[in-house]
Amino acid sequence: MEKSLLAPGHRACAGCAMPTTIKLVLDAAGPNTIVVSPTGCLEVTTTPFPESAWCVPWIHSLFENAAAVASGVEVMLKRRCKDANVIVIGGDGSTLDIGMGSNSGMFERGHKVLYVCYDNEAYMNTGVQRSGSTPFCANTTTTPSGKISLGNPRPKKDMPAIAVAHRVPYVATASVAYPVDLRRKVKKALQVSGPSYIQVNAPCITGWTFDAGTMVEIARLAVETGLWPLVEWENGVVGQVKKVTRPKPVDEYLKLQGRYRHLFKMPDGGEMLKQIQAIADANIAKYRLVD
Amino acid sequence: MASQLMAGNSAVIVGAMYAGCDCFFGYPITPASEILHEASRFFPMANRKFVQAESEEAAINMVYGAASAGHRVLAASSGPGMSLKQEGITYMAGAELPCVIVDICRAGPGLGNIGPEQSDYNQACKGGGHGCYNNIVLAPASVQEMCDLTARAFDCAFKYRNPAVVLADGVLGHMVEPLRFPERALDQGIETAWAVAGSAATRKNMITSIFLDFDELETHNLKLQKKYQRIKESEVAFEGYRLDDAEVVAVSYGISSRIARSAVDAARKDGIKAGLLRPITLFPFPAEEIRRLAGRGCKFISVEMSNGQMREDIRLASGCEPVQLVSRYGGNLIGLDQIIEKIREVA
Repeated sequence: MEKSLLAPGHRACAGCAMPTTIKLVLDAAGPNTIVVSPTGCLEVTTTPFPESAWCVPWIHSLFENAAAVASGVEVMLKRRCKDANVIVIGGDGSTLDIGMGSNSGMFERGHKVLYVCYDNEAYMNTGVQRSGSTPFCANTTTTPSGKISLGNPRPKKDMPAIAVAHRVPYVATASVAYPVDLRRKVKKALQVSGPSYIQVNAPCITGWTFDAGTMVEIARLAVETGLWPLVEWENGVVGQVKKVTRPKPVDEYLKLQGRYRHLFKMPDGGEMLKQIQAIADANIAKYRLVD
Repeated sequence: MASQLMAGNSAVIVGAMYAGCDCFFGYPITPASEILHEASRFFPMANRKFVQAESEEAAINMVYGAASAGHRVLAASSGPGMSLKQEGITYMAGAELPCVIVDICRAGPGLGNIGPEQSDYNQACKGGGHGCYNNIVLAPASVQEMCDLTARAFDCAFKYRNPAVVLADGVLGHMVEPLRFPERALDQGIETAWAVAGSAATRKNMITSIFLDFDELETHNLKLQKKYQRIKESEVAFEGYRLDDAEVVAVSYGISSRIARSAVDAARKDGIKAGLLRPITLFPFPAEEIRRLAGRGCKFISVEMSNGQMREDIRLASGCEPVQLVSRYGGNLIGLDQIIEKIREVA
């Protein structure tokens, strides 16, 4: 097997989906790649100065401006008539929240940049605060469950829809549990002439609290319950969708994670579980996940 | 009097709640995030508002909005986050809006690291954003002061309708010490007739920092400068330690002053007449006291976890050259021996 472009020895937690995700992305993209990463778990765990796990050129930017830095890189590559993949790899906090403005600019201007969001559904690097990508009812340090709260009161922000609304020619969701699918999507994204966006569901052992050995199982359950549908949008139209033959009840996914523990203990939890099931059911209907 | 072991970041929320703070707008950043966590836990319980913003800019501009309505509003951040907030802070200074911002300073520049530093001194004390303005800057040196000075910052901010910064650092934020809770909620009887409260009475009030006419802006700026002068005359606070007969004076604030105090005691044991001047307010700076000590022939050492930023203010106030500097920056604390050695050298 060829050497991965993300070297071992990085400092991510055991059981973290992020490094596996990034390895898959990089190895699909190949060595002719420049990566821009905003601040986050990825940057902190792969580049403790003077070490680096990156075997491709890598630029760190501030939290909110990776897409702007990547735009600059892409413009200068064009000016020098050079061809390389420019890939932004950021977490959900930087992608969906603080970096939204620069993402929108990059999408709208049409830079040939692939933006990969590893979505672990909260600000994990700073201590598990909610983000715009935190799902309904998840416990975080700023949406703590207790007497007056059942966790995050809002559903996830629909970032793929926002990218599609920018007329981004290729948008996809992916999962660390489906590596062949993820690699295929990265290769496809890099073929388009403009911007592309892939959001990868990446379970976080620290923030979601699960047994380290179950990371892939949890990621797979997110897909099999319908909570994380695997979808492609090509020029704004839904393309290939990963079918789920027999959708599993969301409880099977939720009960493995500490961030939902309160739903199985508190009196109002049952009602919330029904609402989460309704989110999955709506996805199943919307993307026709079941034949 | 209730007393409880608590971290500095938690004590900030205690102080804010006793001072009648009713809104917190936050965004995560290490090492300030625990302030956000505590606010998300305790503000809703006490029927106060907690909102997590999508960015530092959003958080500070939510502060701008709520402060415009006359509310007591708190924000907290660190390093890169404080830099992002500067636009909002200069707008609030220009529009004369009160608010409290806690800066749990980390090491820079750029992303730096999450260790402690005092390198936001210039940013906090000299304006930080564009235009001629000043923040009121308070510098706690203990968990108790993280609580007490946060509360006091609200009073200063409202008294002068000006942003107030509580300038701490990563050690003070995470250090655990006993906290005596305030005896009662602080007096909130400060008028807010200037606010826009959605009522007929406040209909004519304007919250703005735009003055297109040059003369009008000049008049506004001169008014702000008069305000900063009043603040300098009335709000200076400092602690003098063994200063009565001191010949060598360490000037130090925040966590560094705790180490400088031990150094002064050690030097005294060696027979050196050393003392500590600890500014509690950094703007206004205790210039008058430094001038008085300089007049008596004292020599000064600036002890700070930055590259001599405070030393410039000591130079200006004392007229002394050289003012010695003991510093470390990059996330490390100053060593006790470093200060003792410098005191010996200067004495």
